[in-house]
Amino acid sequence: MISHQLYELLSEALSKKQDIALITITKHPDLSYVGSKFLLHKNGLLVDENQFSLGLQSKFIEYCLPILKQHKTKTVPIPYNEIQIECYVEVFPVPSHLIVAGAGHVSEPVAEIGKMLGFYVTVIDDRQKFANDERFPFADEVVCSSYIDFFRNVPITPETYILLLTRGHKFDVVSLQELLKREEHLEVKDRTKYIGMIGSRRRISGVFEQLKSEFTDHNFINIYSPVGLDVGAQTPAEIAISILAEILKIKNASSGNSLKEKISSYSQLKFRERFKNE
Amino acid sequence: MNNIDFYKKVMSVQNEGIKAAVATIIGTKGSTPRRTGAKMIIFADGEIYGTIGGGCGEGEVIEKSFSVMDQGIPAQHQVDLTEGLFYEDGGICGGIMDVFIEPIHQINIL
Repeated sequence: MISHQLYELLSEALSKKQDIALITITKHPDLSYVGSKFLLHKNGLLVDENQFSLGLQSKFIEYCLPILKQHKTKTVPIPYNEIQIECYVEVFPVPSHLIVAGAGHVSEPVAEIGKMLGFYVTVIDDRQKFANDERFPFADEVVCSSYIDFFRNVPITPETYILLLTRGHKFDVVSLQELLKREEHLEVKDRTKYIGMIGSRRRISGVFEQLKSEFTDHNFINIYSPVGLDVGAQTPAEIAISILAEILKIKNASSGNSLKEKISSYSQLKFRERFKNE
Repeated sequence: MNNIDFYKKVMSVQNEGIKAAVATIIGTKGSTPRRTGAKMIIFADGEIYGTIGGGCGEGEVIEKSFSVMDQGIPAQHQVDLTEGLFYEDGGICGGIMDVFIEPIHQINIL
């Protein structure tokens, strides 16, 4: 089982937003090794309390580091000096960042559900009365600042998901302009995958009329406006589900369709009974 | 719930000296209720925290973890959900899961 020391190191890496893997030996001819755990950092640093030999350590790094880099938790067989070892490599990727601009009614369930989905959630508003921890107990961070200053400085990566839900369309637009200005200097692959902006069709057409002449080097493909999937959302909670369903769709590169659409006809489905030793 | 919160819970169980085991899905084939990485804590009275998918498969793992916590030695268990679609309440998913079960208090056999 994980020791206190390893647990502390793991939490510390995560709070510093470093990718890390916790590795468990799940098979080893010497049973005393089964269940042993160690940590592997992205830079190849292995933290081991078992005093593995240097040869074994480098074997672990060779097999486990690619798994950490792919962010894919899985089990890997490792051949080492005639013996077979198996390791379960659990990757702890840095959580994706959800930024919610505007601390209104919709933002409350968005922050709460966003947290449930494992995002690191930041809520930002320029009014102290709204931007406070009491209203957003689930957010990781509640920031009171002008929108322009915030979006001028906040780190943006492909794992940053941004929602513009401020009280006035002009604040959404200035925030968007600030983001587009920064993204124009980035390669397309380094830009955010999702900037959602609330708004009616009419308002949006007015905004883009202006933006398309202002930002000629931006293709706008990461902008989602109006926000959300079409599930008929009306209340703040329904709108939050609709928005976060859309974000998951983008994050997981999925269709957003009903899964039943993968089945053309129930009556033509075939089920074949399977038995052991088959 | 994210994984670090799960380990935080494991740490508190360990600190309190409660007898328990952790079961983790370390591999799957076919269609399974939860994917690799799903985890749960099993307590000596059969109570669980978290889930690896419920149903008969989870029941098998709970059974197996009692001997793991008694002996203090980790074990692997394979849950086979491919047999029979309509037997009891199990098997509707139709895949296989490899589950690693380890005691929260491991007995050092070095």
